Amino acid sequence: MFGTALLAGVELGLNRVLALDSTALPRLARLSGQVIAVDCTAPALQLFILPSGEGLQLAGQWAGEADCRLRAPATSLLRLATGQDKTAVLHSPEVELDGDSAALLELAGILQDLELDWEYELSRWLGPVASQLLGSHIRSRASWTSQTLDSLRLNLADYLSEESRSLVGQREADAHFAELDRLKLDLDRLDARIERLIQPHKPTA
Amino acid sequence: MNDPRKHSDSEPTTHFGFQDVPESQKAQKVAEVFHSVAAKYDLMNDLLSGGMHRLWKRFTIELSGVRPGNRVLDIAGGTGDLARKFASLVGPTGEVVLADINESMLKVGRDRLLDRGVAGNVKFVQADAEKLPFPDNHFDCVTIAFGLRNVTHKEDAIRSMLRVLKPGGRLLVLEFSKPSSSLLSKVYDTYSFNFMPLMGKLITNDAESYRYLAESIRMHPDQDTLKAMMVEAGFERVTYHNMTGGIVALHRGIKP
Repeated sequence: MFGTALLAGVELGLNRVLALDSTALPRLARLSGQVIAVDCTAPALQLFILPSGEGLQLAGQWAGEADCRLRAPATSLLRLATGQDKTAVLHSPEVELDGDSAALLELAGILQDLELDWEYELSRWLGPVASQLLGSHIRSRASWTSQTLDSLRLNLADYLSEESRSLVGQREADAHFAELDRLKLDLDRLDARIERLIQPHKPTA
Repeated sequence: MNDPRKHSDSEPTTHFGFQDVPESQKAQKVAEVFHSVAAKYDLMNDLLSGGMHRLWKRFTIELSGVRPGNRVLDIAGGTGDLARKFASLVGPTGEVVLADINESMLKVGRDRLLDRGVAGNVKFVQADAEKLPFPDNHFDCVTIAFGLRNVTHKEDAIRSMLRVLKPGGRLLVLEFSKPSSSLLSKVYDTYSFNFMPLMGKLITNDAESYRYLAESIRMHPDQDTLKAMMVEAGFERVTYHNMTGGIVALHRGIKP
């Protein structure tokens, strides 16, 4: 019962989040009727996911047949959920996939493409004026924080490379690397030329 | 030999909570209870079970194995908790029938489902579980959640459910049962004979209906007896799962 309660809580939270994206539920509705089984091999856990127009239903067991069954350790499942290149994860040796993989990839895509309209959710609780004020305040703080971090990164890089000379600057390092590449090519050419000059003096059999 | 379960006028009797009443009166008395509690049925379920009834019903859905296109009958469907989930699972090509003998409960269930946009693949039928008005071999899955204990002739109801199921179809009976530990049983008795009628009095101003609910749970067959009844009726592979220490049990049987 504890597992069922936990899944019910996760399902409730997940479906509230999904409802914040205007495209997620219509996309999930197209997967209605599909049963996706996820067997986590380490740690041993089993989860059934049933998408529908109302969101996702999560179940610890399902008496019917699954349309798609994914067996993988937790690390691979996490990579599949968060990584961009899902096909590479699915082709890794520790991952087994049976059945219709299109449903699984579509579900992973929907979860990855989520764009949550949190300001709308906030406006339901605080009203439009307060949520707009709070939203613009948060956006300006986020922008300021991002600019400050960028500026700090640039200043630190300048200080380390130009003033304290503790590190080689990016441009200086690039010039050195280019020079080394050129030197390596020159040496290769010289080596080939010497080889060609030696060739005629070799005794013929 | 005198049958202690017969009244002087020889009409067979059955239990209504801890009382013995003529069989012909039980349905009417149960109907009165549910007419009285229908409006606040969901609220009381949440309060009295601490929300656990939602988890018990979730587990029932998980074991139903219902798929798109299936036909599902939810008997004593009450306020439509199971029917709503089944409607989503069977999709537009399937069909869910929400049946209840009680008009008030059926009305509450119908309004609630329609308010939530559940329509098109759900039908509402006022029906007696003992005499289901459906053809033979019609449903892929039949469920009865917290309803069987109120039925006058349980064996007849189980046979009727068997009749309407397709071969290979599943019957799921979710019902209060017998706690597996004696300590839990004592705590549960104290809770249900003291707290439940008190809550009933405070919220619905009807302590008697909740006293009946507590008594009817004690009079309901325990896990093994109900399993034997299902086997006797003709179900195969009958199993049960105890939940919350056996306070509730989910029985499942397959029609051969």
